[in-house]
Amino acid sequence: MLNIHFGKVENAFYGPSWFKANYAPEWLADPLVRSFLRDIDRSDYKGGNLIDSEVLGPISPGELSGGVQTLICIYKCPELVFDATSCGNNCARWLLEIGKLEDITVMLEYFMEFNDQEPFRIRIDNTGEIVENIRDYTFAALDILNAEDYDEG
Amino acid sequence: MKGRHHIVVETRRLKYEFDIKRNITIIQGDSASGKTTLVSLLREYGMRGESSGVSFVSDVRCEVYYGAADSWERYFESIHNSIIFIDEGYGFIFSKDFADTVSGSDNYFVLITRKPLRRLPYSVNEIYGIRTTGRFHFPEKIYHEFYPLFESDGYPAEKKNPIVLVEDEKSGYQFFSKALDAECIGVGGNAKFYHSIREHTRPDGVLVIADGAAFGAYITDILSLRSAMKNISLYLPESFEWIILRAGVTNAGEVDKILAEPENYIDSSQYLSWERFFTDFLVSATKDDSLRRYHKNKLSGYYLKGKVMSDIIDVLPSDIKALAADSKI
Repeated sequence: MLNIHFGKVENAFYGPSWFKANYAPEWLADPLVRSFLRDIDRSDYKGGNLIDSEVLGPISPGELSGGVQTLICIYKCPELVFDATSCGNNCARWLLEIGKLEDITVMLEYFMEFNDQEPFRIRIDNTGEIVENIRDYTFAALDILNAEDYDEG
Repeated sequence: MKGRHHIVVETRRLKYEFDIKRNITIIQGDSASGKTTLVSLLREYGMRGESSGVSFVSDVRCEVYYGAADSWERYFESIHNSIIFIDEGYGFIFSKDFADTVSGSDNYFVLITRKPLRRLPYSVNEIYGIRTTGRFHFPEKIYHEFYPLFESDGYPAEKKNPIVLVEDEKSGYQFFSKALDAECIGVGGNAKFYHSIREHTRPDGVLVIADGAAFGAYITDILSLRSAMKNISLYLPESFEWIILRAGVTNAGEVDKILAEPENYIDSSQYLSWERFFTDFLVSATKDDSLRRYHKNKLSGYYLKGKVMSDIIDVLPSDIKALAADSKI
């Protein structure tokens, strides 16, 4: 299941940096990773370290978007906590997909929209609450992000 | 720094074209929209100039900060009259020290961040996404442009009798509580709107009137709440003083010129946000006029009756105007 911790998590990793330092080329051949690349970055993996981007042409994995790099980290290293703030709203559906395969916990410092993704199950790590619709998710997330004692960093 | 600055960044494959016109501009939005690529191109040009293969056109210098997370203060001290771009991932932009640095700076800052910066007053009108046009078929050129993610008056009141929430109990509150036929509450600061909306949920809805010039850090969450609750409307003028100036009820000179292009008059080193300029301008323009003299804490009776009040109501959006007490129009 997808667990979201709103606000700082000590020792959470910044996905784009972690990915560049630690990715394995074979990760890119994974069908789900290929789906991230196609849907978000309009790119196709060609083998080795080569990716064909409709926008940028031939690129290396280090030139993927920060959102896709972070999604790959979350998927391939579910035991680690990554900061999903570097993932835009267009990554939301893929976080849920990863959450169907693995128990993952991500840190988030903005209100990510999960519109059009119902039905879903998200556990709010701060409170333990499990939300299954947009309305409950919205109130649970925003109440934490707007709490008077919320740590701005 | 003052003014609107047109920037073109171009390679054989990509072109970005946009204007920057306030001291704080935020870029956010979907992943892979080209935010980091823009910063990378600016960085390449900054390091190697024309030999980078990046073409750059601007009337001011653009800098990209890519140094260590703990050495930014010294770096910014050495830069003046420039536009500084900071990509996401730098936590220092949320610090009080960074807010202090932006305040009084003669630089403009373009910050790439989805996390709101609650310590800085930035405008709802200067939060942009990047969108592309073109055929997405390499090597044909892809054009990138900025587009505003939010509108200052795009969330109209649909209910007839909403409770009206304003930032505090100063001049704006004093005006709206008299002009509108609705209960008006000063929430005690922009950070309190969220809690006040949650507290005052009711079938007739909630109307939020806030200074758009300083509401940027809150707009995403309030609009998300609006999507969930369905009965929240927003009116986000630059500021209440901006409304008064638009109404033409003072004898202040050059108002139309200033309101048409405020960026040409508002110096970032003097004003952290535009609403502070409009307040200073209105106070200064009316200080020798005992009838029209403007005080933020206590609104003169001149603005609260007769034709003057009616003229001010007249510049409000139609949905807000519809809430005005009949006798005040």
